[in-house]
Amino acid sequence: MTVSHARVLGLTVLVLALIAVPYALPALGANFWVNIIAEILIWSLLAASVNLLLGYLGLLSFGQSLYFGFGMYGVALSINAWDVGFWSALAIGMAAASVMALIAGVLAVRLTWHYFAIITVVFSLIFYFAAMSMKWLTGGDDGVSFTPPPVMNLGGYKLLLTDPTAQYYVILGIVAGCFALMALIVNSPLGLSFKAIRENDRRAALIGINVYRTRLIAFVLAGALAGVSGALFAFFGRYASASYMFYHVSGEAVVWAIVGGASSLLGPLFGAGALIIFRELVSNAWEHYLIAVGVITILVVMFAPRGIAGSWNDLLHKAFMRRSQGADPNKPAAVIEEPR
Amino acid sequence: MTASGTALSLSGLTKRFGGLVAVDDVTIDLESRKLNAIIGPNGAGKTTLFNLITGEIAADSGRVTFQGRDIVNRKPHEIVRSGISRTLQIKSVFGGLTVGDNVRAAVLAHERIMTPFRPVSSYRAVAARSNDLIEEVGLSDHRGALASSLSYGDVALLEMALALAAQPKLLLLDEPVCGMGPQETERTVAMITGISRHTDVILIEHDMEVVFDIADFIMVMAQGGILATGTAAEIASDAKVQEAYLGSPEDD
Amino acid sequence: MNELVLALAVNGLVWGLIVALIALGLSIIFGLLDVINVAHGDFFMLGTVGGLVVATSTGSFWIALAIVPLIGLILGAVIERLVIRPTLRQASLTIVTTFGLSMIIQEVVRATYGAQPRRMAAPIDGTIPLFGINYEIYRIAAAAFAALFLIAFFLFLNRTKLGTWIRAVRHDPETATSLGIPVTLVTAFTFALGTAMALLGGVIAAPITTVDFRSGVDILPVCFMAVIIGGLGNLQGTVAAAIMLAVLEGVVTSFVDPTTARIASLVIMSVALLVRPHGLFAGATR
Ligand SMILES: Nc1ncnc2c1ncn2[C@@H]1O[C@H](COP(=O)(O)OP(=O)(O)O)[C@@H](O)[C@H]1O
Ligand SMILES: [Mg+2]
Repeated sequence: MTVSHARVLGLTVLVLALIAVPYALPALGANFWVNIIAEILIWSLLAASVNLLLGYLGLLSFGQSLYFGFGMYGVALSINAWDVGFWSALAIGMAAASVMALIAGVLAVRLTWHYFAIITVVFSLIFYFAAMSMKWLTGGDDGVSFTPPPVMNLGGYKLLLTDPTAQYYVILGIVAGCFALMALIVNSPLGLSFKAIRENDRRAALIGINVYRTRLIAFVLAGALAGVSGALFAFFGRYASASYMFYHVSGEAVVWAIVGGASSLLGPLFGAGALIIFRELVSNAWEHYLIAVGVITILVVMFAPRGIAGSWNDLLHKAFMRRSQGADPNKPAAVIEEPR
Repeated sequence: MTASGTALSLSGLTKRFGGLVAVDDVTIDLESRKLNAIIGPNGAGKTTLFNLITGEIAADSGRVTFQGRDIVNRKPHEIVRSGISRTLQIKSVFGGLTVGDNVRAAVLAHERIMTPFRPVSSYRAVAARSNDLIEEVGLSDHRGALASSLSYGDVALLEMALALAAQPKLLLLDEPVCGMGPQETERTVAMITGISRHTDVILIEHDMEVVFDIADFIMVMAQGGILATGTAAEIASDAKVQEAYLGSPEDD
Repeated sequence: MNELVLALAVNGLVWGLIVALIALGLSIIFGLLDVINVAHGDFFMLGTVGGLVVATSTGSFWIALAIVPLIGLILGAVIERLVIRPTLRQASLTIVTTFGLSMIIQEVVRATYGAQPRRMAAPIDGTIPLFGINYEIYRIAAAAFAALFLIAFFLFLNRTKLGTWIRAVRHDPETATSLGIPVTLVTAFTFALGTAMALLGGVIAAPITTVDFRSGVDILPVCFMAVIIGGLGNLQGTVAAAIMLAVLEGVVTSFVDPTTARIASLVIMSVALLVRPHGLFAGATR
């Protein structure tokens, strides 16, 4: 067995386990966990949007909650106003987030390093405050609720989100689709130009890459991902709220991405999974479990900067004695260089 | 002088950093099909001159004419696409990528391939060109190695491959053999003379032996300006040049 | 001019001086360590909580004013050693570690002090008439304290040996090392000092604000605005921007609602960042 065999095996096990969730967990008497796993899947997309920028372009966005919020409101408002169907609402949520990301990105990707982190959080704060005060439209903190339309309407048979199993599979399908698309992108010529920019933006320009445009493309893609995440979360919760546009939501996504392992495709899923499961297990017994989350975050950055996925890869390489030239366990997954 | 005979033409090119005039009203036509070299003491403004040509810093005034068009203050990636490639004095490649991916990224960028939904590995022609380039600079044994694991000399060679991937009409080399051992130097010098047979080359070099050996035309810079120009023999006997070099002896 | 506007401007000035003190702490930490300290607002919050707790248990606000910043100095030194120093190599990831720190601080305060916002009695009673309203004397005193500490800070930075070292390390760590300056120690002290300044701002502000474990979240963006509009790492600029923003926000608030004022400041901040991204600090000593 080689490392890549082990990877394929691991991925297969993961996919099968996720497919089995709605049957296996209730059989174990843990119905409640089906929804938790669905929530993890949704949040993993938000973390993935952070990861796309941080892990593949070396840009730390602290403002992904803005696009998450646009995804949420795109769904809620379009359903309430125009009575659109499930897929149209999803598309509108994603489009709203992408357009917002395009507008913000045109300005934000001029900056790098700390400045990029600051400008992204500032943009998200502007819209957070605006959304909070525009209660007539957004409902502010309380948000707006809606009734999700059927996902499919096949000659009398309706696929409804009110069926938890159906809802789970719809979410799993969309999230898996997004991750598959990401996998395609990061291995494509576009993805290689992302990585080239991450490694050395000056040299990237000198081989003829339009660094600004490429960063903008990535920023919009990340915004779209965050938008899908927000749209799904709106369907899942049957409502949209401005409170999800606060920078703490962005910060949490950054933490998930880093704990999971930035620059590894599935890292965000593991990060979101580990910390949300931790929350569910501990928060009932210990109200102040966030202390532990904070400690875990710091310890991961200090001792396992490549996160869960990076450590898992290192483990695989050790186990199969096939050290790839790539795995330097001490190198942080995301390298953000100071501008020269 | 006809445009086809000129590799690059600079006129009145000037760059100030605060009070310091790093490049001071440089005007020169560099001929095509010759190996042009720029020498001069540290801080003379040689690298800054390259940065102005490649659009990495904005010129305060002046023109850079390449193939009949003024390219001054255009974006670096546009200038690369118009046919000028360069290597950097402090060698720099994509450290976290393999040698193969480094070169593939450069070839793809040159071909303007930015598709998002097809794997890099499915581009056969790109792979073939990348392998040729890697072979040309002699890094075939390191194809799968991370660029950050290469020796300094090998990084310089990889950088050369990245610059060549753009099929430049003009290649700017900033101290290409700096930090190389004698054998690597010899190999690299041979490569440069080989390239200069089909591509215009402007070479900044500290190693006088190398310059006098291979350069057809030498431009000497000091304090941002042009001190002298001519063939190796003319420069070697130029009193001003001797003074400039004796006045500030080389530290390497 | 409308008297109320003047009163609001004065109130803005009071806040501006306090924010300047806190933002200055953020600014020196950024300038020296390249750390974007997301937990800085929580240090301020610790100051308000510490001020309230110490003042009620000792019966004197003045004791709190004296010892809480000292606690901040020690706390800052400990945090620098445990959390900041080990991750300094990864400059941008310190945003993440300090975010973790912020969670820890807020949650520890919620666990010990409680989630209930409280108010604190002003240590100086009474009001004076000012532009047609009765203005609390303590607010004037708070502004005076803040101004005093600001002056003290700049004197310290420019007149003492340690201050000179800090400036030297800010300017060029390598040269500083070669001159025999203990760079690691100076760095640690700078973080501790920045932390102490946030706590000091917190104690001063405690009697005129709500003491709440969440208050750091509100003050952090304000401090960042001051630091960025003033020019990252430009200390005088930070002070000027903090005062300007607070006065402006105070005045603007009398015409539009506070949220609009807040949004306006954020937009100004974005423009500052975009128009002079690196120029902002390039002009400063760095
Ligand atoms: N980005 C910059 N900012 C300020 N000064 C610079 C910058 N780049 C170069 N210089 C200064 O310009 C002068 C010329 O530098 P350079 O072109 O690197 O010289 P050379 O390559 O001939 O050794 C030097 O004094 C150098 O310090
Ligand atoms: Mg040079």
